[in-house]
Amino acid sequence: MKIKVLAGVMLAVALFSFTAQAAMSWAPAPAKHGHGGHGGRHAAKTFMLHDGVGAELSLINPKLSVMPMQGEHGRVTVKSTGMDNYHALLATRSDGKLYESAVRYVYMFGKPSGESPSLLIKHAKAALEIKPAPLAREHWRYYSNTEAVFVVSYKGKPLANTTVLLKTANGSDAVLQTDVAGKLIVALPEDFSIIKSGRMGNRPSEFLLTANYAEGEQRFTTTFSSAYHINPEHWQSTELGLATVVAGMLLGGLITVRSRRRKEK
Amino acid sequence: MPLWKNLSVIRKVVQLLAFLFLVYGSVFVGFYSADKLSGAFPVLACAYDAKTADYCVLIPLQHQFGHLLGPAINAGAFGLSVIMPILTTLATFIILFVLLNKAFCGWLCPLGFFQEVIGMIGQKLRFNRTDSLDDNLVDRIRPAKWLMLGLLVVLFPLASGMGFVGHELGDPFCKICPSRILTSLAAGQLNQLYIDTSSTGYMILSIIADTMFGLILVLSLSMRQPFCRICPMLAMHALFRKVGLVKLVKNYTPRCEKCGLCSKACPMDIREIHTSKEKDILFPDCTLCGRCVEFCPDKGVMAMKYAVIPIKVSDPQYFKERNKAQKAWEGKQKPSRRVKKG
Repeated sequence: MKIKVLAGVMLAVALFSFTAQAAMSWAPAPAKHGHGGHGGRHAAKTFMLHDGVGAELSLINPKLSVMPMQGEHGRVTVKSTGMDNYHALLATRSDGKLYESAVRYVYMFGKPSGESPSLLIKHAKAALEIKPAPLAREHWRYYSNTEAVFVVSYKGKPLANTTVLLKTANGSDAVLQTDVAGKLIVALPEDFSIIKSGRMGNRPSEFLLTANYAEGEQRFTTTFSSAYHINPEHWQSTELGLATVVAGMLLGGLITVRSRRRKEK
Repeated sequence: MPLWKNLSVIRKVVQLLAFLFLVYGSVFVGFYSADKLSGAFPVLACAYDAKTADYCVLIPLQHQFGHLLGPAINAGAFGLSVIMPILTTLATFIILFVLLNKAFCGWLCPLGFFQEVIGMIGQKLRFNRTDSLDDNLVDRIRPAKWLMLGLLVVLFPLASGMGFVGHELGDPFCKICPSRILTSLAAGQLNQLYIDTSSTGYMILSIIADTMFGLILVLSLSMRQPFCRICPMLAMHALFRKVGLVKLVKNYTPRCEKCGLCSKACPMDIREIHTSKEKDILFPDCTLCGRCVEFCPDKGVMAMKYAVIPIKVSDPQYFKERNKAQKAWEGKQKPSRRVKKG
């Protein structure tokens, strides 16, 4: 139990320190009683908005209905909307010159929405946006040592050759650039210092993408944040898997030969 | 025989198209198409395949038993939020299933198609094919599909959700499903071919999965549809087969007693097709491939129908041409080593 509390505090410290120097961005609030587990699928989820004083908060459901949200000391609780699938947690702020936005996609359980997440991703949430292409679906997550793909767009159009900053809660950072089609390939770093065997024993970390753009005197900043997990290749061996398939083939050959001989007798 | 007249060729074309759609379909119809199409398809299409267009009903069922029903039983709190997702999954499955019945197995399943293709390669490589399995062996294998459905899809996930067994058994069928390995490999992913060393349970399940995949690769060369015989989807189909619109019917004649070509043609070794005097011969193991109708030499004795509309009716002329085409395809079978010596 003490280890769990300590790990929670360490994660919270890591998350806060990692967002401390970034633009307005979302991160999960530190869990009070460990993780919710599968039993808590319908439970509310709490997020922290860093550097978000004065921001307007909203939650967009899969059918694009917008619900205003209230934060308390940067803490926002997202309750079940009764609708399944991804929702977009959005924070926007503007002083007339600087337009800031922070987007986080939150999976909520409920009745099937009948809508594909592509509708929510395509929906314009801010002038400058980092859109996942695609978002994770069933049996898929962001993993370390894999590539995640995004499209950076400005007023709905892809933004070519734009610099995007990557920061992770584990301390990695990188300067990335979109290609001519606005596509951004993010190589999620293998930067977990403590790796336990098995999915259940490891907590996810956070990564944050920040993009900036200026048009005339107007400046735009947007962030996208999400969890990423330790790549299971640390405890899953493809080589052993291949060897086992070969063993299965040999066993199959043996069964075939034996049954044939029995038949011939 | 013209290829367009040959039901088996038509079926292979449909199987190929279904394979392409189910394994690579999201490239054409959108990454999230499973949310739109069904998310509970009645064949072994896998969600671990990053390009799949839809995925199999056994995935949500295992999750719902494990993550919803199990904890709800523990808490003694049954509500609509527990029952509705399971009913929605089953209703989606049944709506689709009514349309094609067990033909989902014989015409659309990627793993079924893969085993048939391997079997065709085996024929061309002149492996001595075991046309029919021994009756005793068939009888011994038959209950396995019910065990697979009962234990791996229902009981273990439920027990895992209730905390009686570990998380390893939360979705045990997916952990051992050969279609997970096949479809992800076909989509260019190696990440589903592994031995998981994180716990003894995961290791055992991954060893079973990989060994079974190797077994299927080799056994399919000389045996018809080895995995289909123990597939939990076959059992699930069997439960609902009476509600499907596609039917397999027989008008029994005394000639049936002496013939038996239908059961010989059956890839699932259902000998009861030959002996049954019933009108409805859609048996639990049937995959509605239609070979029994193709290889029935008597006019109108066997038929595959869509509701009341006949799709394929047995016909002596078709039988002759089909038999000839089959022999031409198979060529001369190489006699086995021992027979040669004798």
